[in-house]
Amino acid sequence: MTPVLLGVIGLLLAHPVPALLARARWPYRAPRAGIVLWQSLALAAVLAVLGAGLSTALWLVTPQDPSVLRIAVHVAVLALTVLVGGRLAWSIVTVGRDVRARRRRHRDLVDLLARVDDDEPSLRILADELPMAYCLPGVGATRVVVSAGTLDRLDAAEVDAVLEHERAHVRARHDLVLEGFTALHRAFPRGPRGDAALHHSEVLVELLADDRARRRCGAVPLARALVTLGTGAATPQGALGAGSAVQVRLERLGDDPDEVRAGRLVSAVAAYAASAVVLVAPTLFLAVPWIASAWQRLA
Amino acid sequence: MARLGDLERAVMDVLWDADGPRTVRAVMDALGDRGLAYTTVMTVLDRLDGKQLVTREREGRAFAYSPAHDREQLTAELMREALAGAGDDRASALVRFAEQVSPDEAAALQAALARVVARSTDDTAGS
Repeated sequence: MTPVLLGVIGLLLAHPVPALLARARWPYRAPRAGIVLWQSLALAAVLAVLGAGLSTALWLVTPQDPSVLRIAVHVAVLALTVLVGGRLAWSIVTVGRDVRARRRRHRDLVDLLARVDDDEPSLRILADELPMAYCLPGVGATRVVVSAGTLDRLDAAEVDAVLEHERAHVRARHDLVLEGFTALHRAFPRGPRGDAALHHSEVLVELLADDRARRRCGAVPLARALVTLGTGAATPQGALGAGSAVQVRLERLGDDPDEVRAGRLVSAVAAYAASAVVLVAPTLFLAVPWIASAWQRLA
Repeated sequence: MARLGDLERAVMDVLWDADGPRTVRAVMDALGDRGLAYTTVMTVLDRLDGKQLVTREREGRAFAYSPAHDREQLTAELMREALAGAGDDRASALVRFAEQVSPDEAAALQAALARVVARSTDDTAGS
């Protein structure tokens, strides 16, 4: 039974559960816990599928009543496991390589073409009128890039808020979080809900950086900077449909701080508890008994 | 580190302004009286070659260097990546502060901003 149960859990964690979580708004109140929850779901799904393959492999080498149908089912589960594991590993390698190569190239270009700010050595200023601000993460080679148009349009407090937001990304290595979900999404573009995990982790990471910028610089400069930079360029390029990350972030900045604080604790506890359940429960109730029985059977 | 970056820019400026390939010696002369060692300029050109920003060809016993692209091409390349949409399947090399919203959404953003500002003046008045 173990392989089938693990397979079912893996499928549940890969599709209906993320779809359900994608509709929930409460993780926005505790972004860090929300990210952990998405990561736990992804990890638990992968572990469940790998566990299914492992347990089915054992069944195949210790035959008792090998009917053709059962063998076929187990071989199919095993094939799925190999496919999932292989695709994911390949995706992690290629995404990492691709991102790092393009980041290095972009950093070279920024270093060549952008001006270094006098006060802030990691800040680079591009001579362009379009308002934009972004960061290039990297160990010891971080660049925060803004355009001259950004500096024209934002006052000093707003620029500080932008920089604080970007520094939060860099310090907490949010790029690695997103890289993981990008790899997952690219490994399974259509089947499981990798897009939900990627999209929501992108939003949650922004909220996390916003929280820090808000603590340091206040909500108003951050909100103004968001509107200026979110509406400044001519071409819309954001997420399709309603509820872009900018919208979510702005609405959150308008929430009552006391209410947010109260909601944060409840949301965080819920998210951490759910993370623990999806990670620990399959291990405890399926993997451990299975290991015990496998031990007996092989011994 | 910043010094090396400055030198790389200066060397690229020399090559962009030149009307043909330049040897290390020629670049050094064009950089003027900075007290730079020959090996320093050679190292900088070597780094630029590693970054695929210059190309080199053998000229007698030395290498002569030319820019791989002109400044406008590199700027265009940089802007393409900086402005690339978030919707494509490629992993983003950079983390943007805010993605661009549609004009419809811009109105909603203004309303949300008004709420943030109102809340903040409430707080200030209340405290």
